[in-house]
Amino acid sequence: MNIPEELLSIFLFAVRIAVPLIALVVAARSFSSLRRGKRREEPVMVLEDMSTHEVIPVLYWENSIGRSRSCDIVLRDQTASRAHAVLMRRESGWLISDTNSKAGTFVNGKKAGQKTPVLPGDVIAMGSTSLMLKRTADVGGLPPVKPRRGRSASPAGLLWTVSFLQLLLCVQVCFASGKLDIVPFIPFGLLFFTEWIFYFISIKMLGHVSFELETLGFLLSGIGVMQIAGADVKSTYTQIAAMAAGIVLFLFLLWFVGDLDRAMKWRVAVGALAILLFAANLLLAKERNGARNWIVLGPVTVQPSEFIKIAFILVGASTLDRLQTYKNLTGFIGFSAVCMGALFLMKDFGTACIFFVMFLIIAFMRSGSLRTISLSCSVAVLGAFLILKFKPYVAERFAAWGHVWQHVNDSGGYQQVRVLSYSASGGLFGLGIGRGSLKTVFAGTSDLAFGMLCEEQGIVLAVIILMILFALALYSRSDATRSRSTLYSISACTAAGTLLFQTCLHVFGVTDVLPLTGVTLPFISLGGSSMVSVWGMLALIKASDERTYAARRRRRR
Amino acid sequence: MKTTGTRSLILWILGLGFLLGLGVFLYGLATQGGNWALQPFNKHITGESRSTGEGRVLDRNGVVLAESKNGGRAYGGDELTRRAMLHTVGDTSGYISTGVQYNFRSQLSGYNFITGLTSPTGKTNGSDIRLTLDSGLCRLARERLGSRDGAAAVYNYKTGELLCMVSTPDYDPTNPPKDLNTDKTGKYSGVYLNKVLSSTFTPGSTFKVVTAAAAIENIPDLDSRTWNCNGSVTINGNKITDMYAYGTLSFKNALAKSSNVAFSQIAIEVGADKMTAMAEKLGFNRSFSLDGIPTAKSVYKVKGSQSNELGWSGVGQYTDLANPFQMLVAMGAVANGGTPVMPYMIQSITTPAGARLALGLPVKTGSSVAGDQMLGADTAARLANYLRYNVTHEYGDSLFPGLEVCAKTGTAQVTGKGDNCWMVGFSSREDTPLAFVVIVENSHTGSIASAGRIASALMTAAAKIK
Repeated sequence: MNIPEELLSIFLFAVRIAVPLIALVVAARSFSSLRRGKRREEPVMVLEDMSTHEVIPVLYWENSIGRSRSCDIVLRDQTASRAHAVLMRRESGWLISDTNSKAGTFVNGKKAGQKTPVLPGDVIAMGSTSLMLKRTADVGGLPPVKPRRGRSASPAGLLWTVSFLQLLLCVQVCFASGKLDIVPFIPFGLLFFTEWIFYFISIKMLGHVSFELETLGFLLSGIGVMQIAGADVKSTYTQIAAMAAGIVLFLFLLWFVGDLDRAMKWRVAVGALAILLFAANLLLAKERNGARNWIVLGPVTVQPSEFIKIAFILVGASTLDRLQTYKNLTGFIGFSAVCMGALFLMKDFGTACIFFVMFLIIAFMRSGSLRTISLSCSVAVLGAFLILKFKPYVAERFAAWGHVWQHVNDSGGYQQVRVLSYSASGGLFGLGIGRGSLKTVFAGTSDLAFGMLCEEQGIVLAVIILMILFALALYSRSDATRSRSTLYSISACTAAGTLLFQTCLHVFGVTDVLPLTGVTLPFISLGGSSMVSVWGMLALIKASDERTYAARRRRRR
Repeated sequence: MKTTGTRSLILWILGLGFLLGLGVFLYGLATQGGNWALQPFNKHITGESRSTGEGRVLDRNGVVLAESKNGGRAYGGDELTRRAMLHTVGDTSGYISTGVQYNFRSQLSGYNFITGLTSPTGKTNGSDIRLTLDSGLCRLARERLGSRDGAAAVYNYKTGELLCMVSTPDYDPTNPPKDLNTDKTGKYSGVYLNKVLSSTFTPGSTFKVVTAAAAIENIPDLDSRTWNCNGSVTINGNKITDMYAYGTLSFKNALAKSSNVAFSQIAIEVGADKMTAMAEKLGFNRSFSLDGIPTAKSVYKVKGSQSNELGWSGVGQYTDLANPFQMLVAMGAVANGGTPVMPYMIQSITTPAGARLALGLPVKTGSSVAGDQMLGADTAARLANYLRYNVTHEYGDSLFPGLEVCAKTGTAQVTGKGDNCWMVGFSSREDTPLAFVVIVENSHTGSIASAGRIASALMTAAAKIK
């Protein structure tokens, strides 16, 4: 092929402008589709007070009932407990669980324990209040249910757009050296098939109705894979394999948490497994680059802490009836302490920070206790002091923080100044995949992935990627009351919060906004375990989408 | 669920932290991006990367002085040329802060916020910079300085083009000594300094040009006055001496013989205020700039000094300090009827063909810019005559055959070292409007034998430059 060099350059420049625009369109369409797919806060059922005939709307899938003003259904009844019971909807129908109330809960006069079925027309008695469960349609005077606005984006159309974007990235890699090289089409082909096979399994075989989060996952993973291809095509094979494994984990987790009883029952086992994994890590790992967070299993190296992140969330999250019954956090705090201790022994302080933030989000969402949070933070500050005192290489990075330009050639600022310098070199649209120089710096494709992103694909795309991760957190938060259980809400918020926090640590660490390094950028960085883990996180976010389990119900009927 | 929803607001704390951090990074990028990118270790600038590389630095004749080649910065010409051009062009690491490569790094690299260091066409965005300097003339100056420390500069006082600027000590940028940055003995002290721009020296008798200008303007019967120069004069109990007893001297002979006895008394007669006013008009106590690169300030401070100190100051001793560039501008002013044309060295900055769709058009072209008036036209003309007389009657016109040079030498005593030998001057011919300054440090020969010979060679060669 003999293309004039200038023409090729102008073409590739146009491609680099097109990529962020397409990414922006995909992200905007996906998030607006997620928004549209969200149920509005309309009553699912109603409760009718038997003495006053007042109609109380039941707005959520899990509803706390009690005297406390913070309850979803407030009883103006001095004989009722502050947190009396939880009325929830499961696949089998409506259930009520008494949450250690003084006066007890009765359904049609019979004392209710845990998960007592309630049918429309049944009367629930709590204290001196009696409420009858009724279908919304059977009660007059409620505003009519409005149909959902507009149509969701076509999942196939969005995925085609992502595939096209990946083709554009692939073309950049092919011409990275100035001459056509067709080897990068191998990772492109692998990506393409993995994505579309997963699409058919998801939509056609499993009957999922939504595909927005998966599309966003592919958008980000594809950008990461192609960036790695620009540095070394061989590394992409493990990265794509990890993505495929991540998808398997994704489907497994969706199935696993699909049954809330199962998810709750297995919590202790999952916790024990996590601690065992940590123990195995500590016993088997050899120190590598200052940390002992790797174990070698035959041909692959695995970072167990990445998987324990998922386990940690599964152990921490809980359904509302259980939250209301057992209010204290002691068990979870103990489990978290063991995890943090193990991470300290591994000298993996970046991951310890991430676990700490996971702990904060879960602890706060479960208890709402500012006291626990501030106490934990004080302990963390103490821990940070100890690290600085006893781990000189961490202290060195802290000392260079804010004035890395005086540490151009020592470990305090070596990576940061190069990231800043090469990020600025790329301008808004980058130098082109494979044409950067940051990839030659140690751990360029993993620990410095954000710098590579800026250098090779430009600031615009880098910011769009960061905003997608930010928007994921906002979406999870806004969806917190619409999900089918607090277990989903808590795990989705924690997962999205963790992804965002990890993004912060990575981006701000390498750009010297924060004094940290050595954390991967979700979806983009080279790293198998990390890739598998972020897809697991994505599954937890997806589980909180009400539609995720809707299709299954429809199918079973 | 409501409570869980409320508590999920904790994610906003994280989200706000994220937005804040991103803001800090993007603000830094927008305001500091150029400085971030333009680092010596950046392979896109040094040309180690395939697609980028800095523009070239050329001399007035198109000789390549620096270019990005084979993954590094290459310097053109033979070793002597590279050494001669070192301080003007600058080094690769940016230690020479007055060098073109440091001061024009954003033009050379072509950095801009939109496309960074690249361009849509893939060609380097970096501009070529053509200098007004003649590398051959600089090489000659460097050759004549030999192993001596010093500085030399020549410029066209009609157009402002700087033709020669050389400073020693130096090193060969293509083969820098291995211990250049690790040496503790001081053997490379001053190698990063362009003495023409950044150094000041005791001016010695060259300062008599300033005293003479003050005398012309303030002593009405100057040409009919005489001074009795018997080898020394005692002022305020302090003896000011001459090399020889010259006897009775007229003003122009006092300048030609460079009598300290006469000029110290003239300085005292003119007085501290008027001396200071003249020195400042001629550029003392202020900084100039060469294409935006600031120069060191020449110093003349006699406020509150004793009369003997004022006397010494009039002959370029006491606390007087002169910067070679300032002396060059002052000579340009005398030569050009009192108002100097300011020297410049950037002839043009040209974007490469294709970049920014401007097909090799110059984006900046150097041009003649007049400075502030330093002397009245009459004063300048009279001073030029006296300086011409110096050459014809004292230094020997054969030093500058056919160039009608006006000049003044100086030999400043430096404690504990040899003398600083100066020569400043200009050709008064219309067709060779050249001014020069030469200084040789730590010299044990007279100023004619050291600075004079270099000036002679430079002016003869410069006169042939078109």
